[in-house]
Amino acid sequence: MAVDMNVFRGFLQQVRQLPAMAQPTECPDTERVAAVKAVFKERIDAGVASHLEACVHCGICAEACHFFVQTGDPQFTPIHKLEPLRRFYRREKGPFAWLYRLIERDIEETDLEQWQRLVYDSCTECGRCSFACPQGVDIAHMVVIMRRALANAGLIPAGLRAVEQEQGSQGTVFGVGPKQLMAAVEALRVRGYEVPVDKDKADVLVLTATTDILLFHDAMESTVRIMNHLGVDWTIHTCAFEGANFGMLSGYEKVQKAASERIIREAIRCGAKVVIIPECGHAYPAMRWEGANEHGEPLPFEVMAISEFIGRQVMDGKLSLKPIGKGRRVTYHDPCKVGRHGGVFDEPRAVLDALGVERVELPDNREMNYCCGGGAGLFVIDTAERYRALAFDLKRKQVEATGAQSLITACDSCRLSFLAGTDRTQWDRPIESLVELVGQALPD
Amino acid sequence: MTVTEFVDGPLWYFALAVFFLGIAWRLVVILANGWRGDLSRPRRSGLTGSVRALFSRFAPAPGIGRRIGLHLTGGYLFHLGLFALLLFAAPHVAFYAERLSLPAWQPMPHWAFVLVSELAFIGLMLLWLNRVLNPVTRLISSTGDHLSSILTFLVMLSGCLALEQAHEPLRVLHFFLVEVLMIYFPFSSLMHAFTFVLSREALGYRYGRRGVPV
Repeated sequence: MAVDMNVFRGFLQQVRQLPAMAQPTECPDTERVAAVKAVFKERIDAGVASHLEACVHCGICAEACHFFVQTGDPQFTPIHKLEPLRRFYRREKGPFAWLYRLIERDIEETDLEQWQRLVYDSCTECGRCSFACPQGVDIAHMVVIMRRALANAGLIPAGLRAVEQEQGSQGTVFGVGPKQLMAAVEALRVRGYEVPVDKDKADVLVLTATTDILLFHDAMESTVRIMNHLGVDWTIHTCAFEGANFGMLSGYEKVQKAASERIIREAIRCGAKVVIIPECGHAYPAMRWEGANEHGEPLPFEVMAISEFIGRQVMDGKLSLKPIGKGRRVTYHDPCKVGRHGGVFDEPRAVLDALGVERVELPDNREMNYCCGGGAGLFVIDTAERYRALAFDLKRKQVEATGAQSLITACDSCRLSFLAGTDRTQWDRPIESLVELVGQALPD
Repeated sequence: MTVTEFVDGPLWYFALAVFFLGIAWRLVVILANGWRGDLSRPRRSGLTGSVRALFSRFAPAPGIGRRIGLHLTGGYLFHLGLFALLLFAAPHVAFYAERLSLPAWQPMPHWAFVLVSELAFIGLMLLWLNRVLNPVTRLISSTGDHLSSILTFLVMLSGCLALEQAHEPLRVLHFFLVEVLMIYFPFSSLMHAFTFVLSREALGYRYGRRGVPV
């Protein structure tokens, strides 16, 4: 079932109202530089130092960035977005700090305001630049550090800050809490689905995302159908259902940790062996790669993206699907946070093959796929709207070049960005969710 | 003490000391930052990723090559040419045997030297022109980057002029410029000749354990 575009446009309007809802930050102007430096100092390890030392300023990273490719504006050169970090390193942690303190100026507050735009509005932390750099400089990893530093200095853009503050103070995202979750669950139960909620013990803890509750209802329905079809011992938990982590997106570690801990605590309590992340791109690295580090010890359960989970079931022969896609030519967009940052490439492709579609690859795919343009919270940053549109135009050209009839992805954030682009340009290719397609293809 | 004696003697030893101690110091300070551990459950081996990244990055990433033709041409010509000259130019082979007591090996013939030098010069010029003319590299390049290019150019130029070894002053000039470059090296981005290994290793380890081909 296609997304109701009127509901989607209403959601977009809500997103545009976010900056007005943001509360002022606690960090006084005079303390911002010190707050940024404190994070830099804590986060620079030998890996980061190696990256900063290895850069030869060749500019190849620019050629990998969708924002540079689309605009030709050198300001968007990925390594340039790290200038305050580089300057701090050279002046205060590098091997010749005594020398650089004499010849290089210090970070100033005006720098931070300028770099806020570069680090938040025009970077999706997609990591394509890290994969293009011949020196192996992990720029995306350092952009995360930049965001943490700016967040510590209270410089998160207003739209993103509003959602981070909501999640930090109320535990909800876009107003979705346990009550709204249960309304969605009841709607599914009315339609005859068994939806286990708040079970004491379960092998699998399934998370969902606000966007699935507000917009992509079929994704949640499909997830329920798939779990029940596989006969999995699973549950959703009203205290720990939200996969989205706006602490991570904004760079505000306190909120990131709290959001992760809520899930980890519940997963451990109910004895889950697996935690399944919905089609919410950043929720995957937030739990899969950062969860244990935030928690302070290895997680006693496995973390899987829903596309990864379904793919493994298909690959292991445990899930057969009806070939509903016969004669359909489709292409798959690898969500950056699940693919390039997570290594989930083969599983979604195995699912598509099981659906019987004619799968064609984008000109740039897998670890070199171009980002949707809305990741890392850009979708809720109003000042980034122009850049998101540019990224969509690039993706649109690539999809059209394949001759695919539809674009399939496994990330709500990508889907939102593509839907916004589709709506703006009246593009005729449907944007589809992998999990929704699987829901339609389950054997009777 | 004559200029020649100074360049061949004390300055050479000073340059050697700064070169090796500077490199060691810089690497030690980088590594002294320690490593933040990663408690996440790896999908694959980080070590395999490290080894892979060390070599895979010599080739452009898929889909990127078509956008960086100038970087690729200039980069390969310059670096391959430079290493060929450093290792196989006849005067260098003789120098290593005489001053560093290394066993002599077969040098490249004169025609090959001329060809390789020209290609290396073309590569260096392409890279430097790109640095000066491309708006991206103009924005991100530092004075140090330009200084590195100019010094390398002068060393190569003086080396070509001194090739015949007919004019002692030219050999001394070349040797002097090499020493200046060696002293400058640890303080500059020329250190990427060593730090690229650490950087690729770190990247390869991080993404290798995530199961992403780096």
